[in-house]
Amino acid sequence: MIKSDENIFECKNITVSFGAVHALQDVSVAFERGKIHAVVGQNGAGKTTFARVVAGLIRPSAGEMTVNNKTMPGGDVKQARKAGVELVHQSFALPPSFTVAEAMQFGAGSGKIYSRKSLKRFWQKHLDKLEVKVKSSERIKNLPVETQQAVEIARALISDAKFLILDEPTAVLSPETTQKLFVRVRQLKQSGVTVILVLHKLKEVLDIADTVTVLRGGKLVQSPLNCEGIDREKLSAMIIGENANQNLASSNKGSLRPETQQDAVLDVQSLSTIKDVEGAALDDVSLTIAAGEIVGVAGIEGNGQRTLVRAIADMVNLKSGEIHLNGQNMTQMSHLERRSKGLRIIPFERNVEGLSSSSSLWENWSIRKYLQKPTFSFIKPKQDRAACDSGLKKWDVRYTNVDQLAGSLSGGNAQKVILSREMDADAKLIIAAQPTRGLDIGATDFVWHSLRQARDNGSGILFISSDLDEIFDISDRIIVFLSGQLVGEFTPPFDIKEIGAAMIGADL
Amino acid sequence: MNTQFITIFRALSFILLALALCSLIFIAAGFSAFELFESIINGAFLRNGAMKHALRWAAPLFITSIGVIISFRAGYFNIGAQGQFYIGAIFAAFTAEWLNGSPAFIVVPACFMAGALGGALWALWPGLLRLKSGADEVITTLMGNFLASLILIYVTGGPLKDPSGSGQQASSRPLDAAYRIGNSYELSPTIIMIAISLGLIMWVLANRTAFGVVSGLAGRNATMVEWQGAKLMSVGLASFLISGGLAGIAGTVELMGPNGRLAAGFLPAHGFTAILIALVANLSIAGAAVAALFFGGLASAALYLPVMSGLPASAIEIINAAIALFITAKSKFLDMFFSLGSIKWKK
Repeated sequence: MIKSDENIFECKNITVSFGAVHALQDVSVAFERGKIHAVVGQNGAGKTTFARVVAGLIRPSAGEMTVNNKTMPGGDVKQARKAGVELVHQSFALPPSFTVAEAMQFGAGSGKIYSRKSLKRFWQKHLDKLEVKVKSSERIKNLPVETQQAVEIARALISDAKFLILDEPTAVLSPETTQKLFVRVRQLKQSGVTVILVLHKLKEVLDIADTVTVLRGGKLVQSPLNCEGIDREKLSAMIIGENANQNLASSNKGSLRPETQQDAVLDVQSLSTIKDVEGAALDDVSLTIAAGEIVGVAGIEGNGQRTLVRAIADMVNLKSGEIHLNGQNMTQMSHLERRSKGLRIIPFERNVEGLSSSSSLWENWSIRKYLQKPTFSFIKPKQDRAACDSGLKKWDVRYTNVDQLAGSLSGGNAQKVILSREMDADAKLIIAAQPTRGLDIGATDFVWHSLRQARDNGSGILFISSDLDEIFDISDRIIVFLSGQLVGEFTPPFDIKEIGAAMIGADL
Repeated sequence: MNTQFITIFRALSFILLALALCSLIFIAAGFSAFELFESIINGAFLRNGAMKHALRWAAPLFITSIGVIISFRAGYFNIGAQGQFYIGAIFAAFTAEWLNGSPAFIVVPACFMAGALGGALWALWPGLLRLKSGADEVITTLMGNFLASLILIYVTGGPLKDPSGSGQQASSRPLDAAYRIGNSYELSPTIIMIAISLGLIMWVLANRTAFGVVSGLAGRNATMVEWQGAKLMSVGLASFLISGGLAGIAGTVELMGPNGRLAAGFLPAHGFTAILIALVANLSIAGAAVAALFFGGLASAALYLPVMSGLPASAIEIINAAIALFITAKSKFLDMFFSLGSIKWKK
């Protein structure tokens, strides 16, 4: 048992609710002084919410926090700072055009008057002390991402923080820079700072942390557990739930192709992409989707799912590899040509990538057809309005007239507009990216039903979701992405433990 | 239909508010607001032959404004109409000089083609910069206006200089009378025909072609159009070129019609008034026809005021500025008022 006087930070029965949803439920944790603590869990387990509660950004609906046995009021950043609690965000908020010194002063938030020179000198000293190798006169936008992070950490430490929370610090880092970060974190520990790392990769947890706290579905599964004597299997079992299988088999790894090659609507061969700002680059990905098959893509968000879709849609630069659609090599084809061959996409962001909210329904609905015509060809708006009207009616979209703005529809109805546009009779390969995100149960059911129907009509479907239950429900086959690589391929009956282990790299 | 009614009502309210502001300014300056407005309305629309003069100014403004509408709809704020208008006129003037002596049925169409080409070229480089490297077209087209003004000064004082000129204002040699499609004292049916046919073509382009719908969608949400597989490059560039080309044609109309020659710094507010027309019309081509007539009337009133009633022509500039102020400010209060109004009307 941990004696209470050793605790620097204690949370008792923390509950955070957003409406009827409990992001955190009755979480009680006590973090010991001077150690490195990891907080882990799947997507939506409540890790980030927890970090934000601790930093005073979210006021918990119930529960109490104490620092050194003194109560800290929730939802008050100033009070949290005063108590020595600092948070480094998942995506950092340093103004890109500022110099390092300016950004740090801005973040430190003191209203004193200063000269540029004194500012530079002051922060340089601070950076040097923390061994962050950067000039304080350098502009943020010119720094590599790991240095930006180091600057952010340095900023958090200015106010003599006793307690530093890093929210998914490794998500933006490459393996080598992750190691550098860990060196820095160990230095902080030596200097007496208590560090809480929100992580999702098991390997990293076991590498760096002294204790681990596991959250699942907003509930505490395991309060700080000593990392010694714990292994990946145990940990992944705690993260995913139920008891872990004894052999977290990697036997299912590798490519399981449909028997007959010519049946494949999509055949991707050793595809690698050039890294860009929108997410992990693909690294030697091969996969096939047969006609009449739903392939589910599991994986923690940002591990290359988005890049896969963008690669199939000719929206990212390829390094190597080939993409075949219906047995035809379309690696050199434009997105539009691929669409004319039967590619359809239900994009990730409904109201940004899927629809133009401030345009009418019929324009949104007709654009796919219009883009297949020469740019300056004539259209018949009256006919297209009527076609849109009957098309939307068939999909049970609720609207008053087709001149209505797309932005006036509810999420479910807006998604139905996209479905009715993308899931026509000529659709051969349908990519459904997070098609049920934010939808209620009825609309979700409708989307599933439509996808199944399209499959039964012979379309191949790539189904991407961050909801594992949903993927299990709908997929005929599941592939798992991790850091831009296809790390596992599974056929029914699906084993949640195996797939979960693959998602967090436990079987690597 | 309801939304169209609201749009019209909205534009009218902006203009009325602007006029209310103007009357305060006029009174503060020691004029009778009533007398001024009476003279303006009289000069713009009511006096004998006023409509003809309003049309004379409205036609080229309309041509430029529909170009502005095409680029604004596609989401590109080409505010370089003034420069494209100048470069178009310069290209046409050079063509007329070069072909001087040939029959008019060759020279006139050639000049129009050259004018459209010149305007389009002056929109091409900001378009390429925007689409290739993301350079803000507001900045580049604005700079383009200044460059075009300087080029016009050079051309009228250099290569095309009229040696018999007075020296007060540099200008080119007057165009051969055979090549003129209009003059400054009567309305030219040719110019009206050109304006009407261009208006019809652009209306069809905006409302009855794939380009119109796709560019409109791209203007409101480019990301969505990209996810549909469109290359923004071609749609965007086409909008820039059409927009510049129309301004160039307007420049040619002024050169071969009422002006008859190039003069340094002629019609310095043409492009900006055209932008105002596009905004007042809420980017509708039909609306631009009405708005162009209104601003054309004001332009002719500006000439009438000092001559006929001894009142300052700058009153018109104040009116234009006030309308610009209200139309661009997008008053929150007004928007709230209109959204309330639309709810009431629906019931």
